[in-house]
Amino acid sequence: MGYGYMGQLLWIDLSSGTVEKEELKETLTDKFLGGKGLGAKLLWDQVPPGTDPYDENNLLMFLSGPLTGTLAPSMRGCVVTKSPLTGIFADSYFGGSLAPEIKYAGYDGIVIKGKAPEPVYLLVEGERVEIRPAKHLWGLDTFKTSWTLKQEIGEGKDPKIACIGPAGENLVRFALISCEYNRHAGRCGCGAVMGSKNLKAIAVIGERGVQVKDKAAFIEAVNRARHELRESPYIEAFRIDGTPGSIPFADAEGLLPVFNYRQGTFHGSRKIDNEAQRERLWLKDTACFSCPVACSKVGVIRRGKHRGTIVDVVEYESAALMGANLGLDNLEEVAYLVYLCDALGLDSMSTGGVLGYFLETVERGLIPASSSQWGFGKPEGIEELIKQIAYRSSEIGNILAEGVKRAAGAIGQGSEKWAVHVKGLETPAWGPRGAPGMGLAYMTGDRGGCHQRAFPILYEVGGERWRGRKFSRLEIEGKAELVVYLQNYLAGLDTLVKCDFAAYGITADTYASLVRAATGKDITAADLELIGERIWNLTRLFNCREGIERDQDSLPARFQEEPLPDGPAAGHFISPSDCDKMLDEYYQLRGWDARGRPFASTLERLGLS
Amino acid sequence: MGRLRAKPDKCTGCNLCLLACSFNFTGEFTPHLALMRVERRRDGLLFQPITCEQCENAFCLKVCPSKAISREEILKIDANNCTGCGLCAEYCPWKVIILREGTAYKCELCQGQPECVKVCPAGALELEVV
Repeated sequence: MGYGYMGQLLWIDLSSGTVEKEELKETLTDKFLGGKGLGAKLLWDQVPPGTDPYDENNLLMFLSGPLTGTLAPSMRGCVVTKSPLTGIFADSYFGGSLAPEIKYAGYDGIVIKGKAPEPVYLLVEGERVEIRPAKHLWGLDTFKTSWTLKQEIGEGKDPKIACIGPAGENLVRFALISCEYNRHAGRCGCGAVMGSKNLKAIAVIGERGVQVKDKAAFIEAVNRARHELRESPYIEAFRIDGTPGSIPFADAEGLLPVFNYRQGTFHGSRKIDNEAQRERLWLKDTACFSCPVACSKVGVIRRGKHRGTIVDVVEYESAALMGANLGLDNLEEVAYLVYLCDALGLDSMSTGGVLGYFLETVERGLIPASSSQWGFGKPEGIEELIKQIAYRSSEIGNILAEGVKRAAGAIGQGSEKWAVHVKGLETPAWGPRGAPGMGLAYMTGDRGGCHQRAFPILYEVGGERWRGRKFSRLEIEGKAELVVYLQNYLAGLDTLVKCDFAAYGITADTYASLVRAATGKDITAADLELIGERIWNLTRLFNCREGIERDQDSLPARFQEEPLPDGPAAGHFISPSDCDKMLDEYYQLRGWDARGRPFASTLERLGLS
Repeated sequence: MGRLRAKPDKCTGCNLCLLACSFNFTGEFTPHLALMRVERRRDGLLFQPITCEQCENAFCLKVCPSKAISREEILKIDANNCTGCGLCAEYCPWKVIILREGTAYKCELCQGQPECVKVCPAGALELEVV
């Protein structure tokens, strides 16, 4: 080992208070490379079937990849655990500076099991690892926790912090982990797993170096990656407009989630888009560690009652789900509500999904003791609901804190029909009715409804070609092949651990060159795809072991039954027979049986028998 | 030869300068050994790259007991004379002198082609000729 990798994992058992350093075996990295792959393998091996995600046997892992912490552009880290929101495999990615620091501390990852009897935080200062009391931090929001710990750990040291807010402490099933600085392992409730372990924060300080095998070849590959980033129009758009640059596109194409996904276009989209944010919020570009793109922006709310609040760019997903989906077109209010979610430790995507469902249920008159403040487009009521969720401080807050699937189960009265999720994960801000390939990607995403495991919209609506092929937007046939490829390739890159956006610019060959030069292993672009396919099958095995089958590879009723009312794909929906056709094709290409379980021959081919 | 000039209004906090500097100097990626720093203000609105000022009134030069630091256009450390006592690093007002394996190192502008300037994607660092 020694090149690209640090060669060891740090295991912490919070029940017994023991700390172990375990060698990272080459047989493991040869097969799974890094982040996502290692996490999937450890989860499969170590977390017994049926384990409650809040049980002390669940693992919470912070993992890096062989390129994290180097000059390779835009590398990140990931959290892997069993999700309390979905009950299946969860991987959630974070930028910022935490993952590189874990490597500088001498580890490829930190694996946490057990459960501390009282609130604690973990201090990792190179070889020295301490489990410290955190009662004084319990209850603090993510920003205050991070700042307090930095002060406490002392002068001259700059620890990198990961922490949960009140939502994680209160086991809100879609609580996030805030990673320095204000980058989030947002999805699937990783923060609730951290809360269940009574772990308020992790502080990491590292002074070791990451070595690469072939320095000249590595720098050459870095320069090539930088060149590709500079030449890419997608990257140019991310640099200038950040992710909210997608709002006008999604609105024009009828892909926005609006009023709980009832519509695909929003009258107020221009009030919350990139141009509005540039004019009213942003002051400068900011970047995650090692990223030349700097898609993030930071600024300040200058008017209204939230004046003076420093806010990040309101990312596309947050602007769409907390804005359009809740009928909010006041940018300052949306920016503040997203800031509030970040501070309280709530995933703003899931929060937008849950609240969209709830406001529709209120509108339909199904909530008896309803408040006049609860309605689409009413920021005060939404702010109150967010606090009630994070603190579980009201009956409704407590129900919504369980996520949209469980909330709809509890509220009942047919409201499951407009609970928009796949496998319990509230879907992202891309309504799929006018892009069926995107629907298939949601149906088959290994962590539930997710746009980051495959984003066929780029090809179906964006006009991008795949291997010379052009895709017709509403066609059902042929989409499975695209989705399978994207899932495999992106899972391969999620082991590095790549940034989703930089991957729009950096080519597969260049990623492979970076890995080759860093590790000395003979990895090609095709290998990355194969490793991705192996990982995808392993996460599927894990999910099948937890009871996932074909019937749950499905779409919410809203997307299967209700025609989209507006936009260029108006009138369209993804019917149950469309879903079946795509799934049949998908399973066949994957080498899975009709119920969606990998054939033995598939596992053998991938070295997973 | 000049000195580095930082433009904090442009700095995105990506820290690529620290990675390039440490790699150039140690052959590894180890930002804490970079011969410069980037300070992040609490609110995240400002990143301040801190580089060697090539001070006219140079404390490092004054405190060095073994005359290992001299000024030849810029301030340089002669590794052969350096005893690794650490006084220069201790009294550097910018905290950009690093002790490594018993020798002190400071920014000597990469023979006029600073790696940090080359790698910066934001134009937040430049070599100012004085």
